[in-house]
Amino acid sequence: MAAVIRHAIAEGLVVLRERAAVSVILALALGVPIALAGVGLTIHQWLGPVADLSGQKSSVAVLLHPQLEAGERRRWIAELSTTHPDWVVSEVSSSDLAARLQRWFPYLEDLMDSGDATLPPLVEILTDNPESVTELEDRAEVLAIGPRSSIQQTLGQVARRLALIVGVVSFVLLAGAVLLAAVWVHLELYRHADEVIIMRLVGATEGTIRGPFLVAVAIPGILAGALAVVGSLTTVSGLSKLTAALGLSAMSIPPYVLVLQLAAGVFLPLVAALITFARHVGDATEN
Amino acid sequence: MIRLRSVSKEYERRTILDALDLQVDTGEFVFLTGPSGAGKTTLLRLLYAAERPTQGEVWVAGRRIDEMGRARLPLLRRKIGVIFQDFKLLRRKTVLENITFVLRIHGVAPREANRRAMKVLRRLGLQHRQAAFPDALSGGEQQRVAIARALAYQPRLILADEPTGNLDADLASELLSLLCDINYQGATVLVATHDHAILESIPARTLVLHQGQIHYDGMWPP
Repeated sequence: MAAVIRHAIAEGLVVLRERAAVSVILALALGVPIALAGVGLTIHQWLGPVADLSGQKSSVAVLLHPQLEAGERRRWIAELSTTHPDWVVSEVSSSDLAARLQRWFPYLEDLMDSGDATLPPLVEILTDNPESVTELEDRAEVLAIGPRSSIQQTLGQVARRLALIVGVVSFVLLAGAVLLAAVWVHLELYRHADEVIIMRLVGATEGTIRGPFLVAVAIPGILAGALAVVGSLTTVSGLSKLTAALGLSAMSIPPYVLVLQLAAGVFLPLVAALITFARHVGDATEN
Repeated sequence: MIRLRSVSKEYERRTILDALDLQVDTGEFVFLTGPSGAGKTTLLRLLYAAERPTQGEVWVAGRRIDEMGRARLPLLRRKIGVIFQDFKLLRRKTVLENITFVLRIHGVAPREANRRAMKVLRRLGLQHRQAAFPDALSGGEQQRVAIARALAYQPRLILADEPTGNLDADLASELLSLLCDINYQGATVLVATHDHAILESIPARTLVLHQGQIHYDGMWPP
C-alpha cells in the first residue's frame, strides 16, 4: 500500500506539472462556487434570528365590531373554521389585547387606564396564505384587518429567495467545475492510454493505475477548498464590518461550513474522477 | 509452467489458433517460430492474458488464466516478464525511469529499484544511456531497454516476442546468452522468432506454428 501511495503521489505530481494551467483553472472553478455557497449559507444563518426563515403560518389580526355579542362572535368563528379548514381562528381575550397594546404603545398608558372593557374584539387567523384573509373585508362583522405580512416575513421571503438564487448559482457553477474535473481526467486518461496499457501489462493493479490521476485532481481540490475557506472568511469579514456599521449583529462563518467547504473541495473532484474511471477506463485502454 | 488445452482464437471469423495443445515445463527454454501471421504473437498475448481464447483453456504458473478476473491479472503478470515486439516503452520517462517504474509498481523501494535497474542496464551495456528518453535511442537500444525492463524484476516466466528483431548479430547473440543465463537460474523462457539463425545458435526445443497449429515440436533443425 505504501508503494502504491508513493507511486500515486510521485506520478500525480508529474501529471500536475505537465498540466499546471488546467490545475489552477480547476482549483478556481471549484473554489469560487464553494466560497459562494459558504457565504450564502452564512448570510442565511445570520438572517435566521432577524427574519422568519421558517416558512411557518402567518398570523393576521382581524378587528370585529364592538357591538358583536360574545355568542355571535363564537358562532362567527365556528363558521369561519368550517368554511376555511386551513385557517386556525382564535379570539384574543380583552386582557391579552390590553397587554399587547400596552407593550406596543407604552405612551398610550393613559388611554388604557379606562380598562379593557372598551376594547373592540379581536381574532387572530393563522394561515399559510395571509392574503386570503382579505376576503373578510366585506363581512359586516369585520371592522378592520391587520397587515397581511410582518417585516420578519418579508425579510424571510427575501432571504429565502436570496438563498435559493445563491444555492442555484453555486450548484450550477459547481456542477460545471465537477464536469471540468471529469473531462480533464477523461482527456488525461486518453493522453496516458499507452502508459496505462503498459502498466497493466507489467502487473500494475487498478489502484496503482488510478492513483496518480486521483492525486492529480485531489491537489487542485485541496487548493479549491483552501481558496473557498479563505475567500469566504475574507468576504464575511467585510460583510461583518458593514453590518456593524449599520448597528446590526456581527456575522461569522459557522465552523461546520468551513469543514463542508474543505470536504467539497477534496471529494467532489475525486468522485468525478472515480466516475470517469468507471465509465471510460475500458474505452481508453484495451488491455 | 504453461499448458494450453484445445485453444482456439478467432478474429472476425478468421482462425488464428486452431485447437492448440501445448505444455511447457518449468525451467524449459523454448523457441516459437513460424511464418508471419502464424499466430506467434497471439499465442504470447494469450499467455500474458492480453487476449482471451475463443475456446479452450490457458494455464500459466498453475493458474487457469482464460477465466481469471481482471483484479487477479496483475499478480499473474508480475510473474511474467514480457519483451514486446514494439518495445512498449514509456515515452515520457528516461531509460532508468522506465525500469524503476516497473520495479516500483512491484513494490520495490526506490533505492533498491535504482540499484537493480542499474545492474541490469550495465549487463545490457546501457548504463551510459540511463538518462536518455526512448525517442533519443536507436531501435536496438530501445529493444535492450525493453529487455532490461522485463528482466529487472526477475520473473519466473519470460515471454519474448521477436527480441532480436532490431539488434545486430553480436547484440542478438549477447541477448540470447543473457536469456540462457536467466534460464539456467530457473526461469522458463519462451522466445517467438522467425530468425532461423537464432534457432540454430542454441540447442533448444522449438515449436513451429503454421496456420494456427503446431506443425513441429522438437529440437532444431528438424
